[in-house]
Amino acid sequence: MEEGTLIRSARFRQEREADWQRLETLVLRVEKRGVQTLDFAEARDLASLYRQATTSLAIAREISLDKALLAYLETLAARAYLCVYAQQERLGGIFARFFTQSAPQAMRRSWKFLFFGFACMGLGVLVGYLLYFEASDWYHVFMPSGMANGRGPDASTAYLRSVIYDEDPEVEGLGAFATFLFSHNTRIAIFVFGLGLFACAPAAMLTFYNGLSLGAFVALHVDRGLGWDIGGWLSIHGVTELSAICIACAGGLQLGSAVLFPGQRRRGEALRHAGQDALKLALIAAIMLVVAAILEGFFRQLVQDMTMRYVIGWGVGALWLAWFLFAGREQS
Amino acid sequence: MTAAAPSRKERRAQRRRNASRVMAPEGIELNLPIAGIGARLGAQITDVLLTSTFALSLFLIIFFSELVDPWSLSAVAVLLFFIIRIPYYIVTELIWNGQTLGKRFVKIRVVAHRGGPLTTHALVMRNILKEAEVFLPGTLLLTLDSDAPYGSLISMAWVMMAFAIPLSNPHRMRLGDFAAGTHVVALQDPILLSDLAKSSSAKTTSTTKFTFQAYQLDHYGRFELQTLESFLRAQERDMDQAQYKRSAETLAAIVERVRKKIGYADAVKRADHLAFLSAFYKAQRAYLEQRQIFGDRRTDKFHRDETGS
Repeated sequence: MEEGTLIRSARFRQEREADWQRLETLVLRVEKRGVQTLDFAEARDLASLYRQATTSLAIAREISLDKALLAYLETLAARAYLCVYAQQERLGGIFARFFTQSAPQAMRRSWKFLFFGFACMGLGVLVGYLLYFEASDWYHVFMPSGMANGRGPDASTAYLRSVIYDEDPEVEGLGAFATFLFSHNTRIAIFVFGLGLFACAPAAMLTFYNGLSLGAFVALHVDRGLGWDIGGWLSIHGVTELSAICIACAGGLQLGSAVLFPGQRRRGEALRHAGQDALKLALIAAIMLVVAAILEGFFRQLVQDMTMRYVIGWGVGALWLAWFLFAGREQS
Repeated sequence: MTAAAPSRKERRAQRRRNASRVMAPEGIELNLPIAGIGARLGAQITDVLLTSTFALSLFLIIFFSELVDPWSLSAVAVLLFFIIRIPYYIVTELIWNGQTLGKRFVKIRVVAHRGGPLTTHALVMRNILKEAEVFLPGTLLLTLDSDAPYGSLISMAWVMMAFAIPLSNPHRMRLGDFAAGTHVVALQDPILLSDLAKSSSAKTTSTTKFTFQAYQLDHYGRFELQTLESFLRAQERDMDQAQYKRSAETLAAIVERVRKKIGYADAVKRADHLAFLSAFYKAQRAYLEQRQIFGDRRTDKFHRDETGS
């Protein structure tokens, strides 16, 4: 048909059709095999053809009544948009950035919440410890019955010692690792983080309660003259594990405080903003819990020497602290 | 005539149209239809099947190689499901820009709610919250015994709430989507059909013998034009004898209606029906497009009533 007899929108389409089809093949290829398979010229074309297609779509919406053309351009522009605005970072880069920058930076940014998290736990330990010496019956109040494993005010000192230096545990290796990972403390950490959302209080209370039972547990052993020994037994994994709970608590508190004090933002927005750091704290807590389970599952029974237990436990703790304090600082 | 209040169905369609708009950084609204609940459930089931098959086979390897003592087997099983499932969702969505294998399979995709690229934070957030929303209480629901009914009831209520939230908002966002600022869209295939105003098949060579005056093209609007377009496209496909006869009757009826409406005096021969409609489509489209450029948008044949002229 002659060029002149075509109506305006048909001419518009005829002039641009080849570009759209080229964009279409590029988009389908990127969706199937990833943007890294494009060479330089193709990647450049993808971006500029996408912008052309959006312009075409805007014009076509104004001048064309061709349903087929409009539907095609809507779909094409939408799919090209998803290809062009995609995360282009490699997985390795994302992991590296998390460990070297964003995680420690998030920790430093939320130092106030971390302070409160550790304070909740510390106060709990102190109160539990003091209350035990007031009346040892408090032990049964604070300690969940399933957790104590027969270790209570009624148990003999010899039994308590035998648990601390248990040469021949029931479970070992991978099994022990898995058991300890899904033990009481991981559940506490998840709850502490999630419950923070409800205006802080449940998270703080749960952390405090966890501290209470820990304090009573330590007091029981101190009472029998096993203070240093239980310290070693707890240190080897507890430094990492209890810190993880405190960090999870800090994340929960951060969410809760966004609900309580949203400031100039709307509550949902404040929550989303707080979630940026809280999520990183939760991931750090999860990593620490895994490390703690490794320490508990593999090393606690392997290392029977008390001083060695202290050294490993607090050494790992110092490594965590160094990571949080020194990684990802801007070079000035 | 005053415009009737939109019916419930129309309002819902309007809401769906609004929900499917995403603002691109180029300043143009793109149309990304929201994925249906069925598609999302299908993708989810595919993913769960994939991860649990993988976890189960690993578990069986561990079980038969007797690496673990029997009484910690259940803990190891839980561990395996955990360390495969959580990274699976995050890593696949990072690699394929918002698509897990299941989502690729049913052709849906996660997009940023306010346009722009998906951030790592958003993908991690929505998948970690998936655990809290569905998997953890779901596992609790499956493992709890009848001795502790309250735990089951609470987790049941929680899971039901997690499923009810997507149904209650037009973007079908679940809690994790709200927290991450994402929603899930359905992908459509771009298919470019031929331009009817340009097609030069043998049938339309005689279109030039039909001419229409401006007053004859004043009757219809965009809706009627596009309905005619759909009908003409349907004529292009292959038909058997019965279908052909039926469509010829429809064609005759349409030609008769159009002739009467626009006041086209000359009779149209039966053989020329399709050519007449093609010519009419072309003339009508050219006319309406021109009116549109001059700011006179005619959505349907009632356009005169709306403008009051």
